[in-house]
Amino acid sequence: MAKEKELTFEENLEKLEQIVKDLESGNTPLDDAIAKFNEAMKIAKLCNDKLKKAEESVHQILNEDGTLEEFKATEEA
Amino acid sequence: MQDKYITVTQLTKYIKFRFDNDENLGHIFLRGEISNFKAHSRGHYYFTLKDETSRINAVMFSSSVSKCKFLPQDGMKVLVTGKVTVYEATGGYQIYVNTMTEDGIGNLYIAFEQLKEKLAKEGLFDPARKKTIPRYPETIGIITAPTGAAIRDILSTLKRRWPLARAILFPSLVQGASAAPDIIRQIKVASTYPLDLLIVGRGGGSIEDMWCFNDEMVARTLASCPIPTISAVGHEIDFTIADFVADLRAPTPTGAIEMGVPHQNDVLQLIEQIEKRLEKSIFHQLEVENEYLHQLTDRYILKNPLSMYEIKEQKFDHLLDRLSLGMGQLIDIRKARLAKSIDTYLFTHPERLYMEKEKELAHVLKTLQQQSTLTLEHFTNPYNQVLSKLETLNPLLTMKRGYSITRREGEVITSSKQVKKDDILDITLADGSITSKVV
Repeated sequence: MAKEKELTFEENLEKLEQIVKDLESGNTPLDDAIAKFNEAMKIAKLCNDKLKKAEESVHQILNEDGTLEEFKATEEA
Repeated sequence: MQDKYITVTQLTKYIKFRFDNDENLGHIFLRGEISNFKAHSRGHYYFTLKDETSRINAVMFSSSVSKCKFLPQDGMKVLVTGKVTVYEATGGYQIYVNTMTEDGIGNLYIAFEQLKEKLAKEGLFDPARKKTIPRYPETIGIITAPTGAAIRDILSTLKRRWPLARAILFPSLVQGASAAPDIIRQIKVASTYPLDLLIVGRGGGSIEDMWCFNDEMVARTLASCPIPTISAVGHEIDFTIADFVADLRAPTPTGAIEMGVPHQNDVLQLIEQIEKRLEKSIFHQLEVENEYLHQLTDRYILKNPLSMYEIKEQKFDHLLDRLSLGMGQLIDIRKARLAKSIDTYLFTHPERLYMEKEKELAHVLKTLQQQSTLTLEHFTNPYNQVLSKLETLNPLLTMKRGYSITRREGEVITSSKQVKKDDILDITLADGSITSKVV
């Protein structure tokens, strides 16, 4: 998984939306269009997986000493 | 009988005596609202304390003023201690205030309004300076109490709506005197973390409980926080100062999550839509390109390559024909033009040109002659007119008709009164003069 800095969810979705707009404009040469389509589908899958497979995230609390520790809100009795 | 009557001073002194010796009036605890407040230049305060139905004048001398911890204002509710006595000069009773403190909630509102106005003037609530809340925050900072409903609501709502986000709790006191400095400290700490969003808040409570969110320094720290902020103070009153300063105001901690993060289902749906649009547009493009390809391959030329040669042959012949035809036409045109020029009038009779010029010259000479006569008349006519005018005015002509000029030693005589007996007069006539003597 060694690749360049991972894009944020927001950046990915923005990229996705841009590609759709580009393709829908119909001004992209076919080769580019296919390349972009493939890239977009990859991003869409990535976002989809990120959402669907998201286990409950581990939340943290900042301790007095500046360290972060896992935090779970105490359920109401 | 006169002894029944006392003076105003005596009466006033008596009343004052009664006031001053009254156990209750000597040390009174009074609650009221300030009005007509005036801070005298010498340091004393003069004002009126009132409630719904009554009022009393109040004086606070500078020695007591120096112990007062706030600047009183009209409308403030205060608790004062002091004594009630009579001011003899006006005959009015008034309270001399020893101590004055603000009276709870009434003053909180005033302080709130004052701070709100001040910060608004500084532009801290300006919509233009509000940061945009990111659409898909992934790391969310939360400043609130680590126990209690607020953090629990936030995390459970986050789990339901946007589970991929990670929360970092910056625990803080959210009520009491230490709350404000604690919140300020945690905002500053949170600012050093790579957060997409910072939520600052607490659950509902009394107005005093959440007063830390109306703290000026909390407001200023929040305003200068580089991370987009959401205020989430559960409360019944409309807004806290923090609400005005934050980039987004949520009515409750749960609301902060609802407003700050998208719902995962909406986002999944959005991605699905985008996928569909992607497929649709790429298929459409493929279709268009494919059709174009078919159009190209379907063309007659591609199906009958020999026909291309035939067409070229034919075209070549056609061009040759047009070329020879064109050349012939061009030569004919030039020839015709030459013949036409040779055939002209002058070429056939050159002497005519001389004759015509001679005729023209004669005409010009004639015109010149006529013109010069006219010009001469134009100049001589006015001259003749002047001459005849001069003639009619000539005195000699008048004298020819029998008039004469009479002079004495050169002076013209125009009246009989000018002469006396024995004067020698010269009379000039048209043809000479007579010397005569008056008799």
